Amino acid sequence: MTTDLHSLMAPYALNALDSWERETFEAHLEQCDDCRAELAGFVATAARLGEAAKQAPPAELRDRLLAAAATTPQERPVVTALAQRRGLRRTLPRLAMAAAFLVGTVGVGGYVAERNQADNYRADSQTITSVLAAADAKTSIKTFGGGGKVQLISSASKNSAVIVASDLPTLKNSKVYQVWLVKDDSPTSQGTFASSGAMIMKGLVGVDHVAITVEPKGGSRQPTTAPISTIAV
Amino acid sequence: MTRNKDRGKENPVAPTASQSAVTHLRLADSPEAGGPLDLGDLLLLVARGDEQAFAAIYDALGASVYGLARRVVRDPSRAEEISQEVFIQVWKSAARFDPARGNAKSWILTLAHRRAVDAVRHDQAATNRENKYDWSNGPDFDEVEETVTISLEHEQVRRCLDGLTELQREAVNLAYYKGFTYAEVAESLGANTATVKTRMRDGIVRLRDCMGVGA
Repeated sequence: MTTDLHSLMAPYALNALDSWERETFEAHLEQCDDCRAELAGFVATAARLGEAAKQAPPAELRDRLLAAAATTPQERPVVTALAQRRGLRRTLPRLAMAAAFLVGTVGVGGYVAERNQADNYRADSQTITSVLAAADAKTSIKTFGGGGKVQLISSASKNSAVIVASDLPTLKNSKVYQVWLVKDDSPTSQGTFASSGAMIMKGLVGVDHVAITVEPKGGSRQPTTAPISTIAV
Repeated sequence: MTRNKDRGKENPVAPTASQSAVTHLRLADSPEAGGPLDLGDLLLLVARGDEQAFAAIYDALGASVYGLARRVVRDPSRAEEISQEVFIQVWKSAARFDPARGNAKSWILTLAHRRAVDAVRHDQAATNRENKYDWSNGPDFDEVEETVTISLEHEQVRRCLDGLTELQREAVNLAYYKGFTYAEVAESLGANTATVKTRMRDGIVRLRDCMGVGA
């Protein structure tokens, strides 16, 4: 299932995205003026659906709220010039941090991707951010019957993709999941992870798809099993 | 005499003192785009700590927020908790409301919907943990559809929902009123996720146009 982020707009307005996709879409929204304009109409439409469910609340709720307001401090306004500065607003760094955090934690637990050394985390998180924010970013999500899912966010303009695996079933006998970029039927290893992990893949030109196989601990030079999942790029 | 003359400048059609007084009141009380009650203006007052304005916002939207929460989570006391959280959030965060991103009513109902959906998903996740192997515990789709259609108060919304194709209507209903993700909607309807996203989009565009919602 490959989709561009734009197709997430209606589900977003109906609040039908999971939290991960919600953040991905909100990151995209910061960069997409057309999206925000159309979204306002969608959100107002959804609000009408909400109003249609109108029902009288218990009378004591009003008193309780007014009493609560009288003793509840209020937040201060955000200075607009700062808040509306283009580029990195709230959502984007949070999502990038989440992905970078995954790279970090999985690294400690035996993540053997050659490129993702500790001192590269900062650069990685910047790459992740730029891929997520790209105007042509596409997201694919695979959910597995046994639990867990894999999300691939790719951008042709950045020539990069980010893959985030979360909570895949733990494998027996120390086996690992290995990620491959497949170009003309020839796979190149991108690294391995145990159950969750995130990695950045650069150089998408000519790549057909990303494949995930189950391999012995440490990974294999070439896939030794049929892919459990392939995702078109 | 002087008074009438002054009013005459503002409103040349007002011929007598009594009529012009009424006209004047209405002019003062009705900001151009807002109708009888402009929630955006009230929110500005709330941001400055005006408790009366807060009460006025509750009076305008309390039933919508509570009814929506009730529709999504079902349980009356849970719906009441959510309503309380939503309005406290409105009180605390009124200064953060950004009119450039949509109107005040949409903002508040979006807060309410998101909280209700988060609550129902959280509760569902807890239930799933308890009944890991009991798949029959899933939501009963037919029952949902019926409740939604029968109890909609808003005639226009009901009429507009009736104007959708069955798949569009089901996709919108399950997502909005049940808090399903589009993946869960797809699972319920036996459709693929790309189709569901498209139906949601088509459905919401059709609803928007039917309701005459401006962007």
